[in-house]
Amino acid sequence: MNAAPILEIVGLHKAYEGNTVLRGIDLRVRAGQLICVIGPSGSGKSTMLRCCNRLEEPSAGQIVVDGVDIMHARTDLNAVRQKIGMVFQQFNLYPHLSVLGNVMLALKKVQGHSHAEAEKRARQALDQVGMLAKADSYPGQLSGGQQQRVGIARGIALEPKVMLFDEPTSALDPELVGSVLQVMRQLRQSGMTMLVVTHEMAFARAAADRVVFMDGGVIVEEGPPEQIFGAPRHERTKAFVSRYAAHAGHGGQA
Amino acid sequence: MEQFLFTFFNAEIAARYWRDILHGMGVTVVLSLAVIAAGLLLGLLLAVARATGKRALVFLVVAFADVMRALPPLIIIIVLFFAFPYIDLAMSSFTATWLALTLVLAAYAEESIWAGIAALPRGQTEAARSTGLSWGQTMGAVILPQALRMAVPALTNRVISITKNTALGSVVALSEILNTAQAASSNAGNPTPLMLGALAYLVIFIPVVLFARWLETRWRWKR
Repeated sequence: MNAAPILEIVGLHKAYEGNTVLRGIDLRVRAGQLICVIGPSGSGKSTMLRCCNRLEEPSAGQIVVDGVDIMHARTDLNAVRQKIGMVFQQFNLYPHLSVLGNVMLALKKVQGHSHAEAEKRARQALDQVGMLAKADSYPGQLSGGQQQRVGIARGIALEPKVMLFDEPTSALDPELVGSVLQVMRQLRQSGMTMLVVTHEMAFARAAADRVVFMDGGVIVEEGPPEQIFGAPRHERTKAFVSRYAAHAGHGGQA
Repeated sequence: MEQFLFTFFNAEIAARYWRDILHGMGVTVVLSLAVIAAGLLLGLLLAVARATGKRALVFLVVAFADVMRALPPLIIIIVLFFAFPYIDLAMSSFTATWLALTLVLAAYAEESIWAGIAALPRGQTEAARSTGLSWGQTMGAVILPQALRMAVPALTNRVISITKNTALGSVVALSEILNTAQAASSNAGNPTPLMLGALAYLVIFIPVVLFARWLETRWRWKR
């Protein structure tokens, strides 16, 4: 496995009008790793994730993706964003476009593929998430789980270096969570580098290479899942993990 | 009954004036189409300018839309036609009517389209931008197609009511339907030309109303 970091976050700070959300985050994600970020609501995990492709503008710090400093003034943000796929809690599919159209849009407009080539790549991506049969449906005709799989296909179709997942299963009915996690596990096996903000503790425990526990805008503890869930070193980690163990997360048939 | 028909639907008078009314109809149709095309295009541009979020632009657009919606169109026409010559901006009655109605339609169209843009969840823009689409590409491929569909019912209503205001051109002697019919009525001393005018409006606007209705049902999401 290539050991070079695909995504490197150095000294990331984020504040909104005096309200500090991130207080110095350092994180390295190596090629092929799946990293889960857990923590209570308001701990800044989603904000950190959204800083990685500058949907949120960091107040300070450095973010390097595949050797490119995305904070640099001369960096073409639109070009570098193709390397960073993102999956959203609310799916955010385009309701006026078919499933195929959703996946093809950036392939055509950003990567400049011909219609035929874009369609070929889009169909491959949809096949990977098991949604090829629904290529001609519209998002409104799909279940939440199906929509989220299309959301994943939209990201991976651009062949990114890293995929960011922002609570990808939090808006799903419990019985639909499993199919999405299944697709994420397959993606991991195919070698995709993934940074996943999640509340699915069973998934984090079984599928992650490393788990990051955030609280109050800092990374409190980071380590292999056995450490975080089995033998946490910090009191705050211990308290958080035991609270979750008390009512184990659904859908985690990892 | 005979008296009624003689007064309002006098065949002899209709035969004498129908060509004038037809000519007025031509003016109304051309004027309406010019107002719709220019008004909707300008409204779209203004809504996109407002969507940039640039403070000065937003202020200008909102101020324009508020003033144009507050003023009666008739006053705008009169100002353009009678007052602008004093600042060396004389224009024909056709141009004055066209410009006034275009500005009014643009103001309303901007509001409707902007409402559609503002109603979209932020996630739509974020998803598009996260895949590398530029602001303009996001606007063109993701935001406007959805915002315009949402704006269609409001827009069609506005288009209909404002194009009917072409009749206001009669105050600046534009020879559209109403003015032609009124002149013919006073010449003939009989209101039959006005009835012809009413008929002309129906011939023009019933198809427009039906088209609007069709558009509103056609442009819904496939579900």
